[in-house]
Amino acid sequence: MTQFVDLIPPPARGRRSGPRGSVFVWANIVVLGWLALAVALLAVHDVLGLPVWVALHALLLGAVTNAIVIWSEHFVVTLCRVPGPPPRRLALGLTVLNLFITAALIGVAADATVVAGAGGAGVAVIATVHTIALFRMTRTALPGRFGYLVGYYTAASAALVLGALSGAALAIGAAQWYVRLWTAHVHLTLLGWVGLSVLGTLFTLWPTTTGTRITDSTLTAARRALPTLAAGLLAAVAGMLTATVWVTVAGLLCYTAGIVLTIIPLRPATTPHGPAAWMLAAATAWLGISVLLDAVRLLVAGSVEDLPGVVTTVMPVLAVGFAAQVLVGALTKLLPVVLGRGPAEHRAIADILARGWQLRLIAANLAVPLVAVGLPSPLPQLGWALAALSVATFLVLALRVAIPVARRGAFPLEPAQKQAHGTTSGVLAGLIAVALAVAVAGSGQDTTATAPVSAPTHTVEVTLTGMRVHPDTVDVPAGTRLVLRVTNQEAMPHDLRLDTGQHTPRLHHGETALLDVGPVGETRHAWCTVAGHRAAGMTMTIRTPSDHQHTTPDSHSDDNGNNSDTAPTAGLDLAADPTPGWVPRDATLAPTTATLHRIELRATEQDLEVAPGRRERRWTFADTSPGTVPGPTLHGRVGDQFEITLINDTTIGHGMDFHASALAPDGPMRTIGPGERLVYRFTATRAGAWLYHCSTMPMSQHIANGMYGAVIIDPPDLPAVDHEYLMVSSQLYLGAPGSDNQVRKIQAGQPDGWMFNGMAAQYDHAPLTAHPGQRIRIWLVNAGPGDSTAFHVVGAQFDTVYKEGARLLRPSETAGGAQVLDLAPAQGGFVELTFPEPGHYPFVDHDMRHAENGAHGLFTVTEQHR
Amino acid sequence: MIDIWTIVRFLHVLGAIIWVGGQLTITIVVLPPVRRMLSADDRAGMLRTVGKRFAIITMAVFLPNQVTTGVLLAWQHGVTWATLLQPGYGRILAAKLLLFTLVMVAAALHGIAQARHQPGKARAASITALVGSLGVILLATALAESTAH
Repeated sequence: MTQFVDLIPPPARGRRSGPRGSVFVWANIVVLGWLALAVALLAVHDVLGLPVWVALHALLLGAVTNAIVIWSEHFVVTLCRVPGPPPRRLALGLTVLNLFITAALIGVAADATVVAGAGGAGVAVIATVHTIALFRMTRTALPGRFGYLVGYYTAASAALVLGALSGAALAIGAAQWYVRLWTAHVHLTLLGWVGLSVLGTLFTLWPTTTGTRITDSTLTAARRALPTLAAGLLAAVAGMLTATVWVTVAGLLCYTAGIVLTIIPLRPATTPHGPAAWMLAAATAWLGISVLLDAVRLLVAGSVEDLPGVVTTVMPVLAVGFAAQVLVGALTKLLPVVLGRGPAEHRAIADILARGWQLRLIAANLAVPLVAVGLPSPLPQLGWALAALSVATFLVLALRVAIPVARRGAFPLEPAQKQAHGTTSGVLAGLIAVALAVAVAGSGQDTTATAPVSAPTHTVEVTLTGMRVHPDTVDVPAGTRLVLRVTNQEAMPHDLRLDTGQHTPRLHHGETALLDVGPVGETRHAWCTVAGHRAAGMTMTIRTPSDHQHTTPDSHSDDNGNNSDTAPTAGLDLAADPTPGWVPRDATLAPTTATLHRIELRATEQDLEVAPGRRERRWTFADTSPGTVPGPTLHGRVGDQFEITLINDTTIGHGMDFHASALAPDGPMRTIGPGERLVYRFTATRAGAWLYHCSTMPMSQHIANGMYGAVIIDPPDLPAVDHEYLMVSSQLYLGAPGSDNQVRKIQAGQPDGWMFNGMAAQYDHAPLTAHPGQRIRIWLVNAGPGDSTAFHVVGAQFDTVYKEGARLLRPSETAGGAQVLDLAPAQGGFVELTFPEPGHYPFVDHDMRHAENGAHGLFTVTEQHR
Repeated sequence: MIDIWTIVRFLHVLGAIIWVGGQLTITIVVLPPVRRMLSADDRAGMLRTVGKRFAIITMAVFLPNQVTTGVLLAWQHGVTWATLLQPGYGRILAAKLLLFTLVMVAAALHGIAQARHQPGKARAASITALVGSLGVILLATALAESTAH
């Protein structure tokens, strides 16, 4: 038995226009609207900073999904002769569906994961309702010969439910399951939802389009192909979720076999003619080719790890060659059915929709290899432009017929109106010329925007792997010109986009791109724009060390939700290794010999290790090069004479202030300019641990950047000890000396760390040594510039405390001991102790914020070998 | 401040406004009512007159003005033949010049087709010229932005 199929159902009561009333007309306009949005987004997503995901989903989730929902319902109603739902319910369902789709799109575009997840879940709910509705429709009446359609549409809807749920999970963030879920999502939606719907429809749409009869053998083939297709899809998805290559490949091959089973009974006896037939044929061919390509490439790769890379080359084929083309082809055939009321109107509308179709067909199918094969730029862009133009031209034509019908209820049939032809080809030619010109204009790296900047350039290697950006935090001094060398080490394509809009291209496995961040002034965030990757944790923060200081003091988490209780040292890694060749500052206090101390102190600028592995520019005093922080220690006795020659080797003014001296500051403490010399003489009249520092305003900056040192004047009755150490405590302010950031931190009293002898955690990496029972004297000067210090040795007690010229505790006073030497800024003194037994004795500033952020060191006490 | 270069740029922009605005006005504003209200003969006569007038203005005023002011502006920006190929400003300008040439070719084809009484071809050529002109404006905007950096 054979028959011609009429896609127009018998007239229903209350019919206003077209076969299914105005709801159906408007639903098709919504499809066209989504298609228009997809084309527009494809053209401008880069300018707007939106991921290409949004354009793809406007096409697949917006246009294609809407079309499938309304047309699958229409085919079931028409061919199975069942009553359709009331228009109001159809309108409600479609409205809700489009609201959820919009939510999903906006959610991903605006990075609102909850909205995106809710949108995806909502689509799944609507898909479930749709499935149940189809099922119930056929239960009320005997489906007859076309009952197989319900099977296809139900299977497709089930795939959409799973696809939407997996999509929602991806949007929310699926960390280590991302790759498996993502590939499953792509295949469930493209091969399941779109593929099964299209293939099922093809058994009736194709004969209608080509004007051939539907034979019983066609319908038998339709019933047979579905189990093969469904089994193939299930196996492929199962293989992806379990990361089993051979199961995935077998599933894909099985699905391909299903496509072949579909095509064989439908192969035309004569060459098809007309736009719809050619587009449907080409689309089906691309579906078969892409699934086969998927399977073969995966087989060659041999690892599920490579699946994302494989899918990304196949996906453009599916989107441009199959999904977009099948939609345009089907609408070319179906829109006249909806919009026209009689043969004359049908023909008039079909004529308009067919305009320039050969050109459009060639453009769309030429675009597919261009976008898929991984050709060098600008060929892929040209491919996308061709595809967009082809679809856009159809859109213009379709809206030209659909909108008058929607507005007036009928297609204005006025054949007398003689319209000059040439509009379509004129628009097409103009758009192609503009697209080519824009492509030429935008090609190459714009050198005018990246004019050389005098700031120092810093290049950081960044790898994208395991759904993470490594490193996820980069600290650079303010003003540094930062360049990121981004390499994708994963099969899944990634990119990296800055909040300023600069971004790398989509990088495939092993590809590297440079991302010029430019001078870094404040915290910048970067992330991978592939949908869901940001939610899964592919983010990166570029900081100038000062930035996080300016968050409110009571905030306990930074922008990434990380705990920031240790915020002050977030820029420091105290456990890091010091840079190669690093030499610790010798803490041993050299014995004093002469009574006249003549020394040349040069103000210099040096790059010094201020924390493990971190070198920064510092202002220092140097007797012999290189300079150090603290500056050279002067050690003498009461009555000794000191003659210091200060030489300014820097480019700004500096001065000198010796607390060990008592004299009128007017002359000796004056600021001298670059290249000038100043001789400073004094006699030490009082014992003590004295500070010296630069006397130039603002002193806080000069001290914070390292211009300080100690003068130790021994008290007259000071006995000899086994070890005499000197610690100068100070605060660490990271950043370029005098930079806005550093100055702000200094003024706010928010250091990045605390340190002994000019480097945070220095003596954790180079512990001081002693033996049990040895008498240790530790001199201490607090250089500041601002904080007090509370020196303590863990596990030991002081039997001697000398502070600010006074002995507070002597060993003879056996009853008492001391635990802390507390010093305000610029105060000094010493403590003495003996270690009772071998072990590791930390010494700290017992203000634990200071200790935990660098003011920490170790005594390694070992048995003495004689 | 307004200096001589402001005047040159003003003339360049003014020329573009008249050319693109003229095309848009004729296509969108003038043609539809003309088609509706005039008889076939009147229409043909009217369109021929408008077309000729626009062509004369183009040849006599628009083209010389755009080329002169364009060359002056390029010279002021230090554009040389070599910089035209460099990415960024030079390449955008080169693309704009190419597109402008295409637009002029399309406009000439429009005149030829009109003279040969081929309305379909004439319409296609005029719409190509119009879309292309909008593209020229787009690239001109990109050019202005690229210098602002």
